[in-house]
Amino acid sequence: MDISQVLFYALSAMALGSAIMVVISRNPVHSVLWLIITFFAISGHYILMNAQFLGIVNLIVYAGAIMVLFLFVIMLMNLNAETEPQKNKWLKLAGVVAGGCLLLVLVAALKQAEVKGKVAMLETGDIGLIRNLGKALFTDFVVPFEISSILFLSAMVGAVVIGKK
Amino acid sequence: MLSDFFILMKQELVIMVIIFVLLLLKIGADMSNEKMMNLANGLLLLNLAAGFTGNQPGVLFNEMYVTNPLIVLEKNILNLGTLIISLQSFSWLKKHDHVPEFYVLLLCTLLGMFFMISSGNLILFYIGLELSSIPLATMANFDLAAKRSSEAAMKFIMSSAFASGLLLFGISLLYGATGTLTFSEMTALITGSPLHIFAFVLLLAGFAFKISVVPFHLWTADVYEGAPVAVTSWLSVVSKGSVLFVFVSVLYTVFKPIAGNWYNMLFLLSVVTILIGNLFAIRQNNIKRFLAFSSIAQIGFILVGITGSSQVSSASVVYFVLIYVFSNLAAFGVVALVSAVTGREQVSDYKGFYKTNPVLSWVLTIALFSLAGVPPTAGFFGKFFLLMAGAGKGNYIPITIAALNMILSFYYYLRIVKAVFMDANEQPIERLTIPAYSKLAMFICVAGILITGLAGFVYDYIYALSFGF
Amino acid sequence: MFSLETITNSIQQWLYSTFNPTMALILECAIVMLLVIGLFAVLGLVLVLMERKVAARMQIRLGPNRVGPRGMLQTAADTLKLMMKEGLTPDGADKFLFNLAPFIVMIAAMLIMAPIAFAKGFQIWDINIGVLYVSAVSSVSVIGILMAGWASNNKYSLLGAMRSGAQIVSYELSAGLSIISIVVLAGSLQVSDIIASQQTGWWLFRGHIPALIAFVIFIIAVTAETNRAPFDLAEAESELTAGFHTEYSGMRFALFFLAEYINIFIVCAIGATLFLGGWMPLHIGNWDDFNRIMDYIPSSLWFLGKTFCLIFLIMWFRWTFPRLRVDQLLSLEWKYLLPISMFNLLLITLIAIMGWHF
Repeated sequence: MDISQVLFYALSAMALGSAIMVVISRNPVHSVLWLIITFFAISGHYILMNAQFLGIVNLIVYAGAIMVLFLFVIMLMNLNAETEPQKNKWLKLAGVVAGGCLLLVLVAALKQAEVKGKVAMLETGDIGLIRNLGKALFTDFVVPFEISSILFLSAMVGAVVIGKK
Repeated sequence: MLSDFFILMKQELVIMVIIFVLLLLKIGADMSNEKMMNLANGLLLLNLAAGFTGNQPGVLFNEMYVTNPLIVLEKNILNLGTLIISLQSFSWLKKHDHVPEFYVLLLCTLLGMFFMISSGNLILFYIGLELSSIPLATMANFDLAAKRSSEAAMKFIMSSAFASGLLLFGISLLYGATGTLTFSEMTALITGSPLHIFAFVLLLAGFAFKISVVPFHLWTADVYEGAPVAVTSWLSVVSKGSVLFVFVSVLYTVFKPIAGNWYNMLFLLSVVTILIGNLFAIRQNNIKRFLAFSSIAQIGFILVGITGSSQVSSASVVYFVLIYVFSNLAAFGVVALVSAVTGREQVSDYKGFYKTNPVLSWVLTIALFSLAGVPPTAGFFGKFFLLMAGAGKGNYIPITIAALNMILSFYYYLRIVKAVFMDANEQPIERLTIPAYSKLAMFICVAGILITGLAGFVYDYIYALSFGF
Repeated sequence: MFSLETITNSIQQWLYSTFNPTMALILECAIVMLLVIGLFAVLGLVLVLMERKVAARMQIRLGPNRVGPRGMLQTAADTLKLMMKEGLTPDGADKFLFNLAPFIVMIAAMLIMAPIAFAKGFQIWDINIGVLYVSAVSSVSVIGILMAGWASNNKYSLLGAMRSGAQIVSYELSAGLSIISIVVLAGSLQVSDIIASQQTGWWLFRGHIPALIAFVIFIIAVTAETNRAPFDLAEAESELTAGFHTEYSGMRFALFFLAEYINIFIVCAIGATLFLGGWMPLHIGNWDDFNRIMDYIPSSLWFLGKTFCLIFLIMWFRWTFPRLRVDQLLSLEWKYLLPISMFNLLLITLIAIMGWHF
């Protein structure tokens, strides 16, 4: 195993482990903090694939801004382990069974998928570099890119209307 | 190239211009609500008229954006629905503080739907879908003082975020499995391997959320009840119609290779949807909840039609959506007027409605007949073609169930008609003056219900544009 | 000529010739860690002393003058005292998060050191998106602050953390936009490229008035981001005791305190790199003789000089302006700084495209 493989497995374990902790944490604040760790792990994956820009933007947007707002709301509402609603035991069991089935199907489907010759581009791909990404955004994906600005505009208008009452 | 861009994307560009005009007017001009709404209705009428002229088929941006006569027609149907809803919401909106914002959000949603329908690429499709659902959530909260309205918005945004999540997961699996995002390239690469089917199931779940097919319908009734009537009618007609259009085209083109798989899924979903929709509609006392469940049942009928996967199927889906625009909006028009003026929304409130408001009663009745599928109205022809399309495959079980359910649905539609015409009420809804705009909207709807079914050229025209396999 | 580059190069060559590559890499990392920690300790001592001296100067008094010559060892003595003190953890606190928070703030500050060029060729990690990396990591320290405020289970702490969070998240925008305006001029996010692009003059002078506006906005925004007066609402003594670190004592308090000063150093270093050319000596266009004379001053001195000038500026603010109210703080950002910096970015883009800069 070379260093990037080691890093890959370490980051994946970190991402999965903290994602599980997000779900099973009793305290909402802890959940959010675990989620932040998940985002860090995913950013690590991006950097492993030589997409530093995406990795860093993932950090700025999610860990730096969105999660901070999450923390804000949860802290101001003073949610803690006691206010967390407790589900029925059978409901939990049903959830576990359903989730397990989904996992089983997903694993089975992925196992049969053709992955021969499709290796991840570790450290060699350069689409994640900011120059190439910018070019792709403004040539191939210019329409979705521009429409997303209208999406933001509408979200802003909506937020202002709701906020103003 | 540049002129292509302006001609092919004309419908989207017109809407964008209207959005920015309204936004700038909000900032710059101090107009009264009525003036603003007159202007907005005028602009929407212009938009509708512009949709009929100077259209050309073609693709733009490496097949990112696709347009053809069928897509133009679908967009025109949505434009028509938008105009009718805008006319109907007059009596509600004139008391509201945020008229331009309402139109801006409405048109942003419409724009999202247009891009979704025209998308030839999963990315554009996804962005369009988001643009058509996020502003809708804020619109559901437009009864700013009502707690129920906020609750509806919250439920809507949660469920639509969940649906988008599923959809996005499906899209990413598809992209991983095929290595392309373009629809036309993807068709050739889909072989029906387990991964493809799993991705399809996720996409199907995402779609099913948006059109509230039964296991994914839980948000529908609460959101419909809490949201303002204009938004409810928008949700049930225009929003669903647009997703249906995309659903049909994605199923019939991208997922053509695995048609055998999705036939069974849709068959099951349609049966469950019709049954649950009808059974729950019987017990509802709130007229908006009632219409919500009735719309779920209608979606079941549409799914029966979609399973046919022939040219008749896609034509009958578009045809039915057109009819559905007229009939459901006629019903919602009456409900909107009553709700805006009196605030009453229970089925029992409509007892003795005929004594005080004969005209509105007739409109409501015609709309309900059309929804139920009583022969002279267009709804009958719509459902007839859907079932015929479904029968084309030779599987008569869903057709029989659907036909039986049509009879079941007569019961609850006629229950309301009975309440309106026959039941006595000590406090009937007082006599309402119908604003000119609502009159116009109702006239369009009723005319549509009566003409669309009988005039055969409408269906023939749609059939000529449709496709199947 | 004296240069740090030769020293680092010879160390690297020696390491790679003596050990195998993995070992050499690990040793390099260890050396860098030691250097950064050492730098932190020294910076903490120097900056706290500087703050107290500057404050004294502004208020026409002497400041610390008993411990060591002219009070030079005062901060060292303070540090010793803090280390001796017992670190208390309040009863109702979330113990784990409470203890973790100061380290997160500190680690975030340490991570930002990576792309800063201290001298010519003396840089830890010249990542190709260096400037973006800085703003990303600096936004992470908010999480540490919020954690500290929430875990203390104290209303003052929580309020202080909230204020601080709101402040940092909002002022990040205009700081980011003014950073981007220099990125647009330089055409790269890499720190070494940005410094190299200032070969013929610093961007502050070459970019006309828009660059000057960007610089002013940057300084205002980073003052707010580091929670310094006049934006020190997060720890406004008169209202919130000490803000988010009210409950901290001993070494954990010292870490917060240290992180605050390190952050000042970092933002000033970034400002110096972007607007004042980093280690690049003062060059004026084609005046070759002048430029050559300037080159005789070592690059590390240039860098430190510029950085400390900016630090002095920020310290000067503290004793000049009264504290803002929360609403004033937010409206300053959202209604003035943000629109101005957006428009300014547009102007700078125009300048960059048309090549109007010197």
